[in-house]
Amino acid sequence: MAVLELRDVTKVFPGVVANDRVSFSLEKGEILALLGENGAGKSTIMNVVYGLLSEDGGEILIDDKPVKIKSPRQAIDLGIGMVHQHFMLIEPLTVTENIVLGREPGRMGVIDFALARKRVVELSERYGLKVDPDAKIADLAVGMQQRVEILKALYQGARVLILDEPTAVLTPQEVRELFSVIRSLVDEGLSVVFITHKLEEVMAVSDRIIVMRAGRVVGETKPADTDDVGLARMMVGRDVVLRVEKPPSTCGDSVLAVQDLHVMGDRGLEAVAGVSFTVCAGEVVAVAGVSGNGQTELVESIVGLRKPTSGTIHLKDIDITHAGPRKSIEAGVSHIPEDRHRRGLVLQFDITENLVLGDHRLPPYAKKGVMKPKVIAEMAVKRIADYDVRTPSASVLAGNLSGGNQQKLVVAREIGREPELLIAAQPTRGLDVGAIEFVHREVLAERAKGRAVLLVSLELEEILSLADRVLVMYEGRIVRELSAEEADAETLGYYMTGGGGDKLAADAVVPVTGGLQ
Amino acid sequence: MSEPREDAVVQRRWMTILQKTGTPVISALLAIAVGSIIIWASGYDPLAAFAALFKGSFGSPKAVGDTLLKSTPLILTGLAVAYGFRAGLFNIGAEGQLFMGGLAATALGLALGGASWWVSVPLMLLAAMLAGAAWAFIPALLKARIGAHEVITTMMFTYIGRYFVGYLVNGPMKEPGNIPQTPALDPAAQLPRIATLFSEAAREAVPILNLGRAHMGILVALIAAVVIWLILKYTTLGFENRAVGFNRWASETAGISVQWTTVKALCISGVLAGLAGATEVMGVHHRLFDQFSSGFGFTGIAVALLAKNHPLGVIPAALLFGALSAGATTMQFEAKVPQDIIQIIQALVIFFVAAEEIVLWFVRRRQKEAISHAG
Amino acid sequence: MLDSIITPDLFAAAIRIATPLALAAIGGTICERSGVVNIALEGIMLTGAFFGTAVVLATGEPWLGVIAAVLAGVSISAVHAFASINLRSDQTVSGTAINLLALGVTGFLMKLWYGHPGTTDQIKTLGSVFTFDAPGGGVLAEVWRWVNAILFTHSPIVYLAIIIAIVAQWAVFKTRWGLRLRALGEHPRAVDTVGVNVARGRWVAVLMSGALAGLAGANLTIEQVGSFTENMTNGRGFIALAANIFGRWTPVGSYLASLLFGFADALQIKLQILRGVVNVPPQVFQALPYVLTVIVVAGVVGRAVAPAASGVPYRKD
Repeated sequence: MAVLELRDVTKVFPGVVANDRVSFSLEKGEILALLGENGAGKSTIMNVVYGLLSEDGGEILIDDKPVKIKSPRQAIDLGIGMVHQHFMLIEPLTVTENIVLGREPGRMGVIDFALARKRVVELSERYGLKVDPDAKIADLAVGMQQRVEILKALYQGARVLILDEPTAVLTPQEVRELFSVIRSLVDEGLSVVFITHKLEEVMAVSDRIIVMRAGRVVGETKPADTDDVGLARMMVGRDVVLRVEKPPSTCGDSVLAVQDLHVMGDRGLEAVAGVSFTVCAGEVVAVAGVSGNGQTELVESIVGLRKPTSGTIHLKDIDITHAGPRKSIEAGVSHIPEDRHRRGLVLQFDITENLVLGDHRLPPYAKKGVMKPKVIAEMAVKRIADYDVRTPSASVLAGNLSGGNQQKLVVAREIGREPELLIAAQPTRGLDVGAIEFVHREVLAERAKGRAVLLVSLELEEILSLADRVLVMYEGRIVRELSAEEADAETLGYYMTGGGGDKLAADAVVPVTGGLQ
Repeated sequence: MSEPREDAVVQRRWMTILQKTGTPVISALLAIAVGSIIIWASGYDPLAAFAALFKGSFGSPKAVGDTLLKSTPLILTGLAVAYGFRAGLFNIGAEGQLFMGGLAATALGLALGGASWWVSVPLMLLAAMLAGAAWAFIPALLKARIGAHEVITTMMFTYIGRYFVGYLVNGPMKEPGNIPQTPALDPAAQLPRIATLFSEAAREAVPILNLGRAHMGILVALIAAVVIWLILKYTTLGFENRAVGFNRWASETAGISVQWTTVKALCISGVLAGLAGATEVMGVHHRLFDQFSSGFGFTGIAVALLAKNHPLGVIPAALLFGALSAGATTMQFEAKVPQDIIQIIQALVIFFVAAEEIVLWFVRRRQKEAISHAG
Repeated sequence: MLDSIITPDLFAAAIRIATPLALAAIGGTICERSGVVNIALEGIMLTGAFFGTAVVLATGEPWLGVIAAVLAGVSISAVHAFASINLRSDQTVSGTAINLLALGVTGFLMKLWYGHPGTTDQIKTLGSVFTFDAPGGGVLAEVWRWVNAILFTHSPIVYLAIIIAIVAQWAVFKTRWGLRLRALGEHPRAVDTVGVNVARGRWVAVLMSGALAGLAGANLTIEQVGSFTENMTNGRGFIALAANIFGRWTPVGSYLASLLFGFADALQIKLQILRGVVNVPPQVFQALPYVLTVIVVAGVVGRAVAPAASGVPYRKD
């Protein structure tokens, strides 16, 4: 008897069919991987199962009985728990408070905190998920926060656990720990649905794989019956060029010189603890590291959003150590920000206005404070064409573009400025394959033109594909520098986690040389 | 991937433009409709009430003049609040800046004695602008530096400003006698009535020119509206103002100083409110006393919202509220309906305008889905 | 001269004056903790004051007036709740509209029901709950005089405010409702995903703030002034917002911060006697509470952190 079954479930948004007659089942005690690239509809379908969205067609069955799930509360009552990509945790509250929220033990409305704490401790010991019940979420590392999320689902009595892209923010070691947690959950009788776009994870941990593409289920297989190439082909529908060819680097003058940089983070701790490196013209230098090891603060200090406490940053011979964003841009630094919605674009501006953002004060776009609409419009038309931004006109609001086109817009602006140094931070996050290929092509084109590129990324494959040199950042320092030849996923993973005695075990995540992002 | 049909997108653009102008009109009509219901429920005759209202606002050249008179400060305070909103700031304290503007204009006007009109008037207007900006400066700084909510700070400054003016007109600036008001301004320090610009003969020939008490301040207001529109549309100042209003972080990343833009925006807002105070003093009362503003700063909020924060839209919106205000006394006198109904209608306008955002949000979402899934 | 200023009734006045501020501020605390900003405290207080007075004028019963004030506060706050939560309007705008609406409605009804603007007739008020003698001389009697004046000369709602502050503090941090309230203001989506109804939780919070602000209005007119005057709240609702921030979004904090403002106001009234000695205009003293508010806001805000989701309408998609 299938614990969960979907029959022809369809979900439609205005203008697009996000899920098209999706059918599959989940057996008890099974780890089912839902594999697909960004935008394939896998998160959407599970949000329907969890009651956050309502289905427009088809039916869902729990233990062979049809159910209509109209809200997360109903899903929880039916034994379905979900851990989302963006955690649903309340930062100022404690672990215990977060876990029991919604089902707080107590009488007549008063919470019995002692009992709550006891239950949390019991649960964490039973499933081997160690947490500090009194810690504030804000003080926890990301991997620990995820444990709290899983405990939350277990506390609410989940029999089916849905994990949405759980490894996006974990170190390789934390990933291994997560996988063993999943296996022990299954041993205790749970069934798990694992949503991901990473081939190696699917091969490492799942019992069965469902592949989705463009809203439909396009394949079902088992790890034993397939390999990464086969999966990739199912995911994308064509043979994928797994690594871009690039000519050897022609390193010219030094463009960016960072010397003994120290930068404070948000919580009063030092985020960058003495970093030195250079990037020369015609070179792509990548900073590899797990999220939260200082890469964000490093980028912010170079572009001027955060002031270093000591050390220097030079762009060619200009000292930009204490320069703000405006001076950095004028000096020749372009920045593709991590978060295109927050820092990259003004969504309520149209394409033209977004393209001139940052240069809006300078000639030829403005003179003495008055802007020149015709010059700006001409620039916009040219950039839209050059960078293949798919839009019917230049006055479409940026917020109405797809994610891929939005990123192309950011790229069009930042690279179109012809900078000395291009900083690209997570440039392909959340993009589909076509957009990813575009961004990679543009980065390599800059490199070919003799510009300097600093790439910060969480995706090892992206780094291996694009970089001439890789700097591994761990706890605010550069712990290792590797050339393109020396670098491979295993070695990078090793240094990213501190590189000290934590070698990857044989049955752990086997990085595939040439998977997709 | 296929592209959305060009004509479908163009058609939606027309719809958007229609929405932008149509929905404020609908909001205003709805507010008036609900106001009518309240009038009827209170035992008065709505038709008679609105007939009296119309008579008092448009029924004669003098009435039209009254409407223009009441609209003048509203255009300026509406611009003040709208400009602030475009930068993401709620200048609820326009009333206080208005007071300080009136004060500065009066003080300078009295000091200048009988100097030439061409000297006095521009200087007085300038003084009012500076005073308005100065009164907005501290709240602006507090907001920019530490994020202090400008609603609380500008509101407090309004009370402080009113007490300050109260003190002055009861003390140091009081004219001899018992009334707490300043001496009258010299005619060379006043804004003359529009009717006086035309000869007696011209006014007899074209009755509409007899615009009652309407004064040249309306020209100041109209010019201000055009200037603000030009600033927002064509200058880097306006561009940065809008960028910060929509997204502070992207603006910061692009090299715009969010702090400085905030200060500039609130100060410019203060400039406009200060001008409103000056025009009231110089064009209507010709002296300063502590009740010279009947809440123009607050009505400006309704004006700005109805105009969707568009500087040129402020003009018709201000005219609407000016008309309501001009007709209210006639309405109370003839149909016996208490004047406060106007304030109720104002509040309803704000509610309906705010509520329509929801409708627009739905429409925008559908547009977005269509374009994003075609691109 | 100093001892004509520092008298027991100065502190008693401080508590009295603080009461409407505190009630509104606690209402603001609860409302903002759920994620809804309530600029309309001013208008709700005014509405409560008006309807409270109206009912006492009609029935002669002060307690009926208090109940009417609370109900009026709840009703008008329901409009804010609907606009902010269901229609997802900008909460500051909606709040401002309510303030204007309150001014308009109270002025309109004044003229409609009483035939004139300005101030209503006097009403029967609620007096002190306790009346103790303060006889005799000596140190003990002096101490008793102080204690009596400060603690035992207040009308019912003043004591109610203190009780509400303590109860609310306990409720926000120790009960199921309180935990969910705090969660709502920080991360409403998280609350939604565990199956708690976001809209309902916020509605309750807004209505509670309406009840408290209405009660504040009742205190102002039925216990303090004894009549209703147009716009009598005169900015108290905004000072209450500052008190909430100063009190770091806790009920007891809001109460103590309101005490500070109450003390400043009581002091300024007392200081008017200085006018005989130093020629300081009355407006200087009258402006004092407002200046103090700006100083408090300037000094505190940077370090006080509002609930993360405060002011942001919640979208389900």
